[in-house]
Amino acid sequence: MNESDTLGASLVRSGVSRRSFLKFCTAMASLMALPPGAAYAMADALSRAQRQSVIWLSFQECTGCVESLTRSFDPTLEQMIFEMISLDYQETLQAASGEAAELARVEAMKSSYGKYLLIVDGSIPTKDGGVYSTVAGVSNYDRLIEMAKGAAAIVAVGTCSSYGGIPHANPNPTGAVSVSDIIKDKPVMNVPGCPPIPSVIAGTLAYFVTYGKLPELDHIGRPKVFYADTIHDRCYRRPFYDQGKFAKTFDDEGARNGWCLYELGCKGPTTYNACATIKWNGGVSYPIESGHGCLGCSEPNFWDNGSFYRPLSTPLASNTHIIAAGTLGGIAAGVVAAGLSRKHQTHIGEEK
Amino acid sequence: MSTAEIDSTHPLELDQPRFSVKNPEARYDKQGDLSDAQRVETAMRYFVKDFGAVAATYLESCIHCGMCADACHFYVATEDPKYTPIWKLEPFKQAYKREAGPFAAIYRALNLKKKVTVEQLEAWQALIYDSCTLCGRCTLICPMGIDIASLVGLARHGMNQAGLVPHELWAVAERAQREGSPLGATPKVFKDRCEWLADENQVAIPVDKAQADVVVTMSSIEIMKYPDSIVATAKILNHLGLNWTFRSDGYEATNFGMLSGNSAWQQEASMKLIHATIAAGAKLLILPECGHAYGAMRWQGANIYGKPLPFRVLHISEFLAENTKNGAIKTKPLGKTLTFHDPCQISRRGGAIEAPRDVLNGLGAALIEMKDTKGVNWCCGGGGGVVTIHRADPIRYKAFQIKMKQVDDAGAELLVSSCSNCRQTFDDGQNHFHWDKTMLSLLELVADNLEDK
Amino acid sequence: MDLLQFARGPALTWAATVFMFGITWRLVGILLLKRSPDFSEARNATSWLGAVKLIITRSWPRREFRQRTLFAQSLGYIFHVGLVIILFGFAPHILFFKALTGLGWPNLPSAFIQLTSGITLAALIVVLVRRLSHPVLRLLSNFDDYFSWLVTFTPVATGMLAVAHFGARYETLLAIHLLSVALLLVWFPFGKLMHSALIFISRGTTGALFERKGASI
Repeated sequence: MNESDTLGASLVRSGVSRRSFLKFCTAMASLMALPPGAAYAMADALSRAQRQSVIWLSFQECTGCVESLTRSFDPTLEQMIFEMISLDYQETLQAASGEAAELARVEAMKSSYGKYLLIVDGSIPTKDGGVYSTVAGVSNYDRLIEMAKGAAAIVAVGTCSSYGGIPHANPNPTGAVSVSDIIKDKPVMNVPGCPPIPSVIAGTLAYFVTYGKLPELDHIGRPKVFYADTIHDRCYRRPFYDQGKFAKTFDDEGARNGWCLYELGCKGPTTYNACATIKWNGGVSYPIESGHGCLGCSEPNFWDNGSFYRPLSTPLASNTHIIAAGTLGGIAAGVVAAGLSRKHQTHIGEEK
Repeated sequence: MSTAEIDSTHPLELDQPRFSVKNPEARYDKQGDLSDAQRVETAMRYFVKDFGAVAATYLESCIHCGMCADACHFYVATEDPKYTPIWKLEPFKQAYKREAGPFAAIYRALNLKKKVTVEQLEAWQALIYDSCTLCGRCTLICPMGIDIASLVGLARHGMNQAGLVPHELWAVAERAQREGSPLGATPKVFKDRCEWLADENQVAIPVDKAQADVVVTMSSIEIMKYPDSIVATAKILNHLGLNWTFRSDGYEATNFGMLSGNSAWQQEASMKLIHATIAAGAKLLILPECGHAYGAMRWQGANIYGKPLPFRVLHISEFLAENTKNGAIKTKPLGKTLTFHDPCQISRRGGAIEAPRDVLNGLGAALIEMKDTKGVNWCCGGGGGVVTIHRADPIRYKAFQIKMKQVDDAGAELLVSSCSNCRQTFDDGQNHFHWDKTMLSLLELVADNLEDK
Repeated sequence: MDLLQFARGPALTWAATVFMFGITWRLVGILLLKRSPDFSEARNATSWLGAVKLIITRSWPRREFRQRTLFAQSLGYIFHVGLVIILFGFAPHILFFKALTGLGWPNLPSAFIQLTSGITLAALIVVLVRRLSHPVLRLLSNFDDYFSWLVTFTPVATGMLAVAHFGARYETLLAIHLLSVALLLVWFPFGKLMHSALIFISRGTTGALFERKGASI
């Protein structure tokens, strides 16, 4: 890796035209709702910037997040990202393996200490000393602590590293937790989603490289630019919700007419993500457009919010046995109360 | 308070336009010598003693909508919120919630509902007695269907036990218990009157026949103030050729024990009539023109007896209606317009709504109904013992003005009713307001116009 | 567990349990109090007819009372009908009942529900103002009256905000809405809201007793 190499030079070498670079910058700037001039500022900053050193750690995960990024529909995007950054360690993508791979990590950490960006996907098991997931004999927990020390910032990609995700789901056998549960002394940005939208990953990386800091985050560490609105707020089916027109099953008239999927358990109203605006597969569609309600995959605990097909306005579980017990208890209490009153009244009569 | 003391400090004023006793100038009255604490204790206990599922349902149901105020003549006449019918039950409600309701244990344990205070009871004496005629008009407006009047009746039990009854009402009730009649119509006085009336009017008035088919009772108001009613009753029963009698061991139909809230006295008074009727082997007991007497015997009599009564119980208007309809009573056409005042306890709460109208129909009178009539008729303001209570006079007269307007608006020549207590209240109101309408008795009207056989 | 999970989960379960516990306690406690037999000779034997009659006819004022109670009655009708429309006509509510009972029915347009909610809230505010200003109502009112008003008003208000996504994040609004319903359920058996069940018992009782006597009902 040539440290003096700037991103601009690297792009030229790879045959990326100025035009497509600007197009990328404009797209990123508009995605993040930056002012119009920002695209040029970004292009300028990026082309002069040294390529950002990135160390990517994968913990308890399914590689879906990496798949989402690398198999993104738009090849330019993927290319841009990997031109923009110097991915110094990524177990899935790097050619090296074994000790050579670990050496690359140590090398990168040393050379960019305090400056590298740490990306994490997957949750961190904490139970039983973290034995449930280890790399090169070191637990995820220890590796995270070690690598976080020299990081400028940490980006948790995917719901697992952001909030614990599926490994964290009840009963959470491995004691899985999120990055921000462990790291308290470094800026941590969550880019949740199962997986996150590729453009969102790219956008946030571009922002970091351009401005040298993380974008503004919401109360659970998500970049506001992408996670400010609910799916429901931006959903093209929203007018049907307002009119009270709902699909009752997945193949009824309403479903065919594209009515609201609220009754089929859509979690759009409580899910903050950019799916409805940026969409997937290069802007082709998103789950609701293909006829299925939102699962709420970018929200904490999405796996534990009852069935995906349980409407939001219903109780999470029908604990009829508890309620029935309460009813029986009430009858008993009523019988006792009436009995006591009667006894009390008889007593009054006898006193005289 | 000893008997002599009652008679000397609160003597009955028999020469006054209405019967009552002189009221001492006390804001609230007490009987007996219980301490304040004992009064509270007793009231709390006796408020709830006679509580059943029905009363509980009512008290649990109130939603504080305040509509009952709009049905009550005392509220409508004064616009004073304390006369809101359900408010008259506030301490009673409090006692119920604390002592008998389903959550009573919690209310007591956490003291969420406090015990009533003696000050409360003082203030409420005037509400439970002076400003409620038990007329039950509020029952008809209540969106929850709560029978508020019956609850006031129950609340009086606690007040009576605690010795917190307005003096006049208590004295009248006590005298009724002691002498057999509240207004001095002892059996001897009654027999003398009947004898004298029989001579005076040349009419047979049988008293104390050993056996009779029909036993007739009277109200002490009639005996002492409207004795013509006795004559009228005798004329009609003789006209029908019935084997009937008055009984000196059971002639007094009024029940001031009930009105003052003394269950024991109420029971004693009712049992006298029941035993007398059974002793005569009668199949029919006729109740006089008296409102509360009807409720006391027709609807509560059997329950005091503890089983169905072995005879029928009819109000005199029902008896007249039966015999008018079957043609046994024939009257000369009256040829006048008249309006009928429904006595609350007989019409609204007693169910004998059409009987007086059938009788009037037989009289050939042109009946002009008042605007609010039959079940929703306005009360005269004197029922429930209120007419005996002097300090209630100001609000009673105010309420009576509603009645006067109602009668005047009807514009009929004659004014008739079938309750001597209403009649007494009307007479008093007429005197007070120098009104031109005189209340007539339905019974006397029939007797006076009987067609000779 | 976040707020919405708490609201949809344990809060609703326990609120419903307290609701059922309290209702049965209160009803059984009342109905099992002593009842004395009535030995008087009935004027009308079919007294249950009176119960039915009064339950139905007391739903509107008699002619004689109409003038004095028209405003209060109309106000009562407006917010009661409003509450019924909102409770049983709004799709998410129907889903709630369907989840509990398995029964579903067609819903009304959401915009109509919002309009109804607005009217209901306005009526409820008038109800409160009237309670605070009318001498009779002010005298009669106690904690129960005001608290019951509050727990009725809050779900409607928070529901409106939730549907409009106004004032906070939707999941927070929905959670607050569900928690306000939980509060309503918990308070229901212990206050005047029980009138929704007691109205039938109370009216029926008087209807039957009075029909027996032929008295006015």
